[in-house]
Amino acid sequence: MSAPGRRQPNWRRRITVSVVALALAFVVLAPLTSLDAAQQAGLPLLTDKLWFRLATTVAMFVVLASGWNIIGGLTGYASFGNVAFFGLGAYTVGVLVANRGWPFPLALLAAPLVAAVFALIVGLPLLRLRGHYFAVATLGVGVAVGEVVNNIGPLGASTGLFLPIVRSDIAFFYLMLGAAVLAVVTTWIILRTRFGYGLLAIRENEEAAAVIGVNTTFYKVAAFCVAAALTGLAGGIFAQWNSFINQENVFAISDNVQMILMAVVGGAGTVLGPVAGAIALELIIQTLAGGGSGAVYSQIGLGVLLAACVIFIPRGVIDFFGGRSRLSLRYFRQTLRETSV
Amino acid sequence: MSQFAQQVVLGLLLGGIYVAVALGFSLVWGILNIVNLAHGALVIVGAYITWDLFTRLHVDPFLSLPVDALTLFVIGYALQRGVINRVIRAPLFFTFLLTFGINLVIVSLLLLIFTADFRSVTPSYSGTGLHLGSVIIPYIRLGGLAVALAMAGVLWAILNRTRIGAAILAVGADRDAAQLVGVDLRHIYALTFAIGAAFAGVAGGIISTFQSITPTAGDPYTLQAFAVVILGGLGRVSATIAGGLAFGLIEVLGQSAPGLGSGFANAIAFVVLVLVLVIRPRGLLGRLA
Repeated sequence: MSAPGRRQPNWRRRITVSVVALALAFVVLAPLTSLDAAQQAGLPLLTDKLWFRLATTVAMFVVLASGWNIIGGLTGYASFGNVAFFGLGAYTVGVLVANRGWPFPLALLAAPLVAAVFALIVGLPLLRLRGHYFAVATLGVGVAVGEVVNNIGPLGASTGLFLPIVRSDIAFFYLMLGAAVLAVVTTWIILRTRFGYGLLAIRENEEAAAVIGVNTTFYKVAAFCVAAALTGLAGGIFAQWNSFINQENVFAISDNVQMILMAVVGGAGTVLGPVAGAIALELIIQTLAGGGSGAVYSQIGLGVLLAACVIFIPRGVIDFFGGRSRLSLRYFRQTLRETSV
Repeated sequence: MSQFAQQVVLGLLLGGIYVAVALGFSLVWGILNIVNLAHGALVIVGAYITWDLFTRLHVDPFLSLPVDALTLFVIGYALQRGVINRVIRAPLFFTFLLTFGINLVIVSLLLLIFTADFRSVTPSYSGTGLHLGSVIIPYIRLGGLAVALAMAGVLWAILNRTRIGAAILAVGADRDAAQLVGVDLRHIYALTFAIGAAFAGVAGGIISTFQSITPTAGDPYTLQAFAVVILGGLGRVSATIAGGLAFGLIEVLGQSAPGLGSGFANAIAFVVLVLVLVIRPRGLLGRLA
């Protein structure tokens, strides 16, 4: 976890340019998948409907990992309850569209609002806690909110909610992509403002930050709310895209772990780390998942990967770009020596 | 009134289970400063061992508890020595993530070995109980409470009456000072985690006697163990007993409150957790941090 300011500007530009180029290629090429003409022409990979779904899922996890990064990576508060914001966003859209008959775009605007207000309410007491206490208390939020939703009749209880199906892969892809861009740009802007420096100061030493005049409570809660709004937005899009939501698919703690893993593997506290982590890991997870029984092996692979990353590359893969560290046996030995007993 | 008495009895008996689950969790947290998210998975490993011995060899579940303890002791020692010791000096968050990874691997392996089918252990005396007036005390639950209290006694004796216990407490108090006076850190860490795992295994054995088990059945127990430790306080065996019994009571009485039901078990646990953290962070009997 390193402050972005220390990276050499030359390298940073090169990474930025390549990621932006990749993203542009993605944006231009992805629509081809929905065209029948392209499908008949037999374009490889892109023609697969599954690939389209994958592209949208990747964009979704870019939002989730970037959202987590704002509270977990920049502020240093490892939240295990972000999935509650995702679920609340999804249920906001679900209830407004399915029960109240709101148009989807209007309902989607409400999703980040509801998530952010919820973050404000739970953030005030919870952000007083630190370390393990914060992590497990937020884990409790994720579990408890899902459980409560699962027991409320008008929310479909354990059956879940069905939304009218909207068949437009391309619209949802661009919507999710837009959310991903919004998440990345938000992080980028935050890191260049007084607010961002305040968050980094809190992460490095909260008492010292308070002493030099950072209003830590306000900053932490604000960061939590921004993270919640982004995550809730992704949840809202997911609800309409998937057209079915229940406790299992929008309040899954494993999704929360995935977003943390993506941010940490990519490089927590950086702008592009979570993006790189989300793309790489989601592709790996989907490849491993493969057939039916493959799900178990993908879980084992995920667990081993998580353990290996924590042990060997605690600063994330982004650490290898920028010329400060090189991927080598010595690097592994060094990180091991720093942390083992 | 008698219904209330019944609820209180059931709450205390359930609390006994929470004491059993939380003892090892509290030890590992207090000494190693690790919140072990794989604790629930280790509990369920113990439950499967008891189930396996019961269905294949017809061993009484209470007699299989030493086997659970021994197996989990070995697994726990290997896990800490081989894996967790590698990140013990990293920020808290990393051990947290690591134990989550271990949890994922254990649960998936259980899924591969035992499948996701519900398994249950049903000895001849399950379903029978002691009648005290209108209050019924199931024998199995009573046995569970007795084992839990015995476990607490054993842990107290290990920590306060043996050389190894002294070394464990010394490492918990000051890692570097303990090393200076000749404590082998790697071994004591592994031993502490192994004892925690062994206690988890015994708790799992008890759990298998009254609840059907699946590979993921342990996850709620991790959250509940955390709530118990927060409620009681960290760093004392007596605090874990108080926290476990109080938590069992709160859960049973909370679920019988109007408007709530058994679907709210985790939500109740969470509300208790946050209230205690905000109002009295050191728990009922905990030492000052």
